[in-house]
Amino acid sequence: MPEETTVHLPAIEKHIEHLHQGFDYWPTLENGTPPAMGDYRWPAEMILSTWYQAGTREPPDNELEYRTGDSGGGFDKLDFKFLPKEQQLPPETDIDLAIPLNRRGGHGPASGVDREIEISLPWYGGGMSFGSVSEQVMLARAMTAKEWGTFTSTGEGGFPDSLVKYKDHIITQIATGMFGVSEETIQHAPIIEFKYAQGAKPGLGGHLLGDKTTVTVAKMRESVPWVSLFSPFPFHSVYSVEDHRKHVDWVKTINPEALVSVKVSTPTDVDMVAVGSYYAGAHIVHLDGSYGGTGAAPEIAKKNIAMPIEFAIPKVHKYLLGENIRDEITVMASGGVRTVYDIAKAIALGADGVVLGTAELIAMGCTRCSNCERGRGCPFGLTTTDPELSLLIKPEWGAQRISNLNASYAKQLRDILRRLGLKNIRDLRGRTDLLIYKR
Amino acid sequence: MPTNNSYQRYHIDTKPSPDFVLWPNRFVVNVNRFQLAKLLITEIIHQRGDMKAVTSRPCMYGTFSGPIGGFAPRPQHCVGCLRCTTQHPEAVRILRNPDRERLGDSYFTSNYVGAVAYEAETGSIPVKGAGYRGKFGGAGWDGMWTDMSEIVRPTRDGIHGREFISTVVDIGEKPSYLVFDEDGGLASAQPRTLSIPVPFIYDAPPKSAESETLYEILASAAEETQTLAVIPVASCRFQVTSVVPFIKLGEESQLENLGFTPKMIEIDDAQSPTPNIQSLISNLQSQFPDTIIALRLEYPEADTLLEFYENGVRVFHLIADFHGRGNDGTPVMDLIRQAHMTFVEAGVRDEVTLIGSGGIIAAEHVPKAIITGLDLVALDTPLLTALQTQFEGDCADREASQFNMPANIPLDWGVQRLKNLTATWRDQLLEILGAMGLREVRRLRGEMGRAMFQVDLEREAFAEIEGY
Repeated sequence: MPEETTVHLPAIEKHIEHLHQGFDYWPTLENGTPPAMGDYRWPAEMILSTWYQAGTREPPDNELEYRTGDSGGGFDKLDFKFLPKEQQLPPETDIDLAIPLNRRGGHGPASGVDREIEISLPWYGGGMSFGSVSEQVMLARAMTAKEWGTFTSTGEGGFPDSLVKYKDHIITQIATGMFGVSEETIQHAPIIEFKYAQGAKPGLGGHLLGDKTTVTVAKMRESVPWVSLFSPFPFHSVYSVEDHRKHVDWVKTINPEALVSVKVSTPTDVDMVAVGSYYAGAHIVHLDGSYGGTGAAPEIAKKNIAMPIEFAIPKVHKYLLGENIRDEITVMASGGVRTVYDIAKAIALGADGVVLGTAELIAMGCTRCSNCERGRGCPFGLTTTDPELSLLIKPEWGAQRISNLNASYAKQLRDILRRLGLKNIRDLRGRTDLLIYKR
Repeated sequence: MPTNNSYQRYHIDTKPSPDFVLWPNRFVVNVNRFQLAKLLITEIIHQRGDMKAVTSRPCMYGTFSGPIGGFAPRPQHCVGCLRCTTQHPEAVRILRNPDRERLGDSYFTSNYVGAVAYEAETGSIPVKGAGYRGKFGGAGWDGMWTDMSEIVRPTRDGIHGREFISTVVDIGEKPSYLVFDEDGGLASAQPRTLSIPVPFIYDAPPKSAESETLYEILASAAEETQTLAVIPVASCRFQVTSVVPFIKLGEESQLENLGFTPKMIEIDDAQSPTPNIQSLISNLQSQFPDTIIALRLEYPEADTLLEFYENGVRVFHLIADFHGRGNDGTPVMDLIRQAHMTFVEAGVRDEVTLIGSGGIIAAEHVPKAIITGLDLVALDTPLLTALQTQFEGDCADREASQFNMPANIPLDWGVQRLKNLTATWRDQLLEILGAMGLREVRRLRGEMGRAMFQVDLEREAFAEIEGY
């Protein structure tokens, strides 16, 4: 059992103060960028620009690059074909960013009473479980979701009591370990998400390290403290679309109004998976590409198994169009969506919206150092359940940071649409004619 | 072949085997002592003498936990989380260590070196948080992704637990049918085939790294992991059958002094089926009737491969340079595919074994090479890296490249490092196979439908976008 940490609050307060100063200082570029920060996918400037937006609600006004990364492919190869200035919509144009999540109406095959849900922004928060992140982080995300009329997902780790008052904005995830899944948590949820696979470790299941399985986490997951927890892959009860339909029937019996989301990875036949999900009664198919993820995963899986989201989105979009069911299911994309420009590109490629994870953590101070799994967990108090480290994030502060990022993203997204001559985010979906491929 | 009573599940014992020589730290920690002193004084005042708060440090890894804290940082503990520099930009700077980034060469970059070193040290699969950090795709192996299935698994008990996925591969001649006489007896020759539990063998080291110690490490590690080690015949002093002697024309007499019957012999320098080579193969086959004879050659033209096949050769060890290129610069991925397809189109692919070397420097390259068409790979530079060998400049050429092995490495240490590496590469292969729902690696060979290529995916996704 890990040693109990003695928390000395003045020391915590000291570190919080210095950290917050650092989050404000570094994006000014007064001293350049931190030399060891960043990588091809999230260069230092992209991390710092996210900190900047999380502090100011605005995109950077200095030379920080906040639109694209250095990966040399995918979103970083795409740009928008903006209209000449005189053809763009005037700045005062009212531009709508809302998207519906239930496109099947109230009479989907799984139920006759499915909720009508619209989110005010074309994104919501991805699953990060209690245990993989702290309760403070979950609370911060839930508060923001409520403020913006969107959602966040529990991940596979249950529903701490402190989240109950935000339940109308929380997606309950049901994954293969069934951790934290109860009749009550299913009844809470406007949306139930079945996680069949995740992009960072497709086909490999989940693993919560023993050090993170604290007494509270273990209680929530109905397991033993300080013992590693494995979510096997795949669902032991699902071999087919029909089996999945059985799962949908099961949750709809407990919560008849809930929408059903199906989170899948991006194999060669991801298009068929999406169609199968639709016929099994899903309202949302959530495609999780291979380059994202917030938790620990084998390096070999992240880089090599399943395709990046940029390729999966158009594949699924076109196939659903061909099947004549595109307007009856919502396609949400995740796995390497880093900026509002990525969000817009994902939608132009064919998604209805996206699911964010890493960007929210970076807003709260993540440096993408990749030490989430090491020792006591994240040194910034994010992906940890360490009683001392987790105090580095105050939920109200975290919520404000994510909210500020949302504000900046919304502002930029409206500007992108205005420059493309579109009044509605829904009109951007599948508009690959508005993109340019950069050689 | 084990009997039912003797069955043991294949397992490699791993244990930590820390670095033998000190490698450069990953990060350099620069502390401005004046600013640190200033910070300390400010904090004593600000915290009103609460020394617990004053001395509470931002680093949780021990970088500033020495006797005089940040005044003498310990960069060997730094993991690059950047919390210190985020909190105190005026006092601390963390830099990537250029000495560390110089490890390896332009192909076997320091990131790959770091991964192999970690695997050899710990016997564990590299696991990290926060998503993928590298380039989107790229040339060669980087432009290829492996498939997965949302619902299919070989079994349902976890790939490292009770679920059994076979990584056994066969080397040798595999005739498509056997001939029996009227009495039901075998009329055709007994096929010479051996099975090894992992789809990789250890290749002979380049000249500049050769040493008796290294050969002994290779032979012992191969024996313990039940694979094979290719070693020049002149250095085959170990009486272990895991050793595969390789000979050049004129060295065959040295095989008489081996003291054991090898499972396999490799003939080097066999670029075309000359009468000399034919006669050597035939002589060796008479001398060692149960031994598999393999040809070691640079990736040849299709005609040459088929000519060798017509002359009875069934095992080919195909060599690219250490950067994974053929003589004309063709990427090894394409060379493997060409060789594989040559035999597929001739209708004899199942009768031959293709072993490949060169450019396979990471665990993910093994399944990718097998998908592309190899039966198994022969590891070269990763073994040297596991043993903390330094590259001198760019090491592409097999003959001219200079490698510096650390002096006096202990045998046990070297063997354990290679065992750890072998175990982690096998475990990672299991991850890939498990994700696909495959029960055995033999079914992966040439299964290009199990791979997704960047060039194809990009065309499918972006073809209608202006500028593509």
